[in-house]
This record gives sequence, C-alpha cells and structure tokens, in this order.
Amino acid sequence: MNHRLIGRAAAITAAGVLLVGCGSAEGSSSSSSSDKPELKITGAYMPVPVSSDMAAGFFTVTNSGGADTLTSVTSSLAEHVTMHSTEDGAMREQKSFAVPADGALRLERGGNHLMFDMLAHKPKEGEKVSLRLHFATSGTITVDMPVKPATYAPKTGH
Amino acid sequence: MRTKKTLPLAGLLAAVALTVSACGADSGSDSPVTQVSAEAGSDKPGTVLDQPFEKPDLVLTDTHGKKYDLRAETKGKPTLIYFGYTHCPDVCPLTMNNLAVAKKAVEQNKQLTQAQKDSLRIVFVTTDPQRDTPAALGTWLKGIDPDVVGLTGDFSTIQAGARTLGISIEAPKKEKDGKIVSMHGSQVIAFSPKTDAGYVVYGEDTTVDDYTKDLPRIIEGEKP
Repeated sequence: MNHRLIGRAAAITAAGVLLVGCGSAEGSSSSSSSDKPELKITGAYMPVPVSSDMAAGFFTVTNSGGADTLTSVTSSLAEHVTMHSTEDGAMREQKSFAVPADGALRLERGGNHLMFDMLAHKPKEGEKVSLRLHFATSGTITVDMPVKPATYAPKTGH
Repeated sequence: MRTKKTLPLAGLLAAVALTVSACGADSGSDSPVTQVSAEAGSDKPGTVLDQPFEKPDLVLTDTHGKKYDLRAETKGKPTLIYFGYTHCPDVCPLTMNNLAVAKKAVEQNKQLTQAQKDSLRIVFVTTDPQRDTPAALGTWLKGIDPDVVGLTGDFSTIQAGARTLGISIEAPKKEKDGKIVSMHGSQVIAFSPKTDAGYVVYGEDTTVDDYTKDLPRIIEGEKP
C-alpha cells in the first residue's frame, strides 16, 4: 500500500500529512490523554551547513497528552529561526506547527524543518546548538541540538 | 521522509507534485489519487528506467562565467544531474553532499581505473538563476565539492531542460512578505557513459551509502 496516497487523500495540514502519510504516530491509542500536553523532544540535530548563510534543524516532539502548538523557535546561533514545511519541492514558512494530542510533530529531512538565517558562525560537527522551543501551552523547552555531518539523515518513523 | 523508494515510472513526466517523495509534501494540494502508481517495495535506491531520458540539450553558464554545453562537455562520461538552489537549507545541500561524499569514497575503489574515476561528472543546475549567479554558485559549491559543475542561466531554458527529465520546477516567486520561494527537483538522474542516456533515477531520500554503492556501476555504465 502506498502510504502517500492515503496521506494525499486524507491530509489537510502539513502535520496531518506527516502523521498520516508516514503511518507513524497517528492513531496510537494512548489512554493517558489528558488535556495537558506532555512533550518530549528527541532526535534533534543540525547538519553541518554549507556556509554561515543558512542551516537547517530537525527534531521530533512526542506528545503523550493534549494538543499543543509550537509557536516559535529561538537560538543564539541565528537571529532568525523560522519554521518551514516542504511542499512539492518548495519551502514554505509556517507561523506554527501543530503538536497533536497523543501524537508527534516531526521535523525531518525533506519535510518540515527549521531554517536558521545568517548564522553567527558556521557550526562544526560535534558542536551543540542551543535551541529554545516555545509552545503555546507547555511554554519554553530548551534543547541542545548536536551538529551532525552534512550527509546525516537518520531514518525515522518507519 | 523515509517512504519506500516509490519512484513513479509511468508518471515521471507528470508534475513533480506526484513524485515529490515526502509525506508532508502535498498538503493542500488536491491532486487526484489516480496517479502514478509506483512500485512499492523495491529495496534499490535507484530506479532503472525502461525508457531512458535523452540528455537535455542545455547550454548554460558555469561557475567561471563560461559557456557550458552539457551534451558536448559530458559526452561519453558518467554524469549525475540535480536541479536545486543554494538558498535551500535541507534537501539541496544534503543531495549534493551525498554525491560529493560518495564520489570521494569511489576514489578508494580498486576495480575502477583512475581515468574512469576522473570521468565522473556531477552537475548542479540552479532553479533560482537570479540569485544563483556563477559566483554565488561557485562559492556554495566550494563548500561541498569544487569539482561539481554548477550551471546557471535563463530560467525558462533550465525549466525546459528539467522538464525533459520529468522534473517540474516553477520560477522562484516572491511572496507577499518579500520572501522568495524557490523550488528544487526531487531526483538525481544518472547518465550512462555508454549511451549518454539518463537511465537511473534517484529519489531525494537516497542516502550517501546508496550512492557509494551504486556509483561504481554507473561509472561503468552498468545497471546498479
């Protein structure tokens, strides 16, 4: 079965596509759902960028509670950190990303990602980039994002 | 996303909308579900085409500002072509770094002659020629692999060339907030040194290991 077909037919939001399309977290029947989101950030990384002009960042937010929204991201590495989805080979800036109840928000290669503009310096492999994720309900979560090789692309969700 | 490598063979000439690999790629698009059915389940990263592509007749400008005739320059040489742009944080540098690192790994290959290794051409064609001038392309590629051929030129020429390879790109658009949205292709096409035809297509989730494994075969013009 081609998951993409399901995703295309069913999804409305980018996050929806991610979940449905990948058949990953969606429908996970957690019974722990309360109204309060329970967020966990995993798998954060930044590939070594080509130059200090821009860099990308990825991570997964797993939620074992009620829905939340990632409203903005800040970092000392760059003045501007923006959230983007990838649609048909084009990046689109998003104002926020939904973190579904009992689900996950995934930022990963070829899909949703953070974009860092005009970096303070070009980060090296092994360095850690400090990141502050601002959520509507859960507040701010700080993450140390390790810098990985430019070709790093972990398989996730399958 | 790591979907199975489901490159639509039948539909390669259809819009990239149908070939973009990702989950999360198509939100809001109401493209019909009747597409392209791709063969799921193949473990091979590349799709060998039953009907190879002709090499596009692209005459563009390289990073030195010189005229570059793709067919003439790469005739009889194993060639990998990718369409992308430098203001691209994720997929474009990943794809190009994958190719560059795989090429380095091939240098260690003892089965191939040095002449064979040297014959490999990696070509990056910009989809955002206005921002990607020869100098800008050159600077960016230096950060990846200075041997990569970077090409820029007239957008409509580039678009037409991409289209002959089943890669659909739109001109960069300025959004209301002044941001420029550019597009990249989602495939790398490998051209055989024997036939000069584009006979293998790699999706954007092809890894550096996949390329490292396949490149020696492509350099020999064999099926990976």
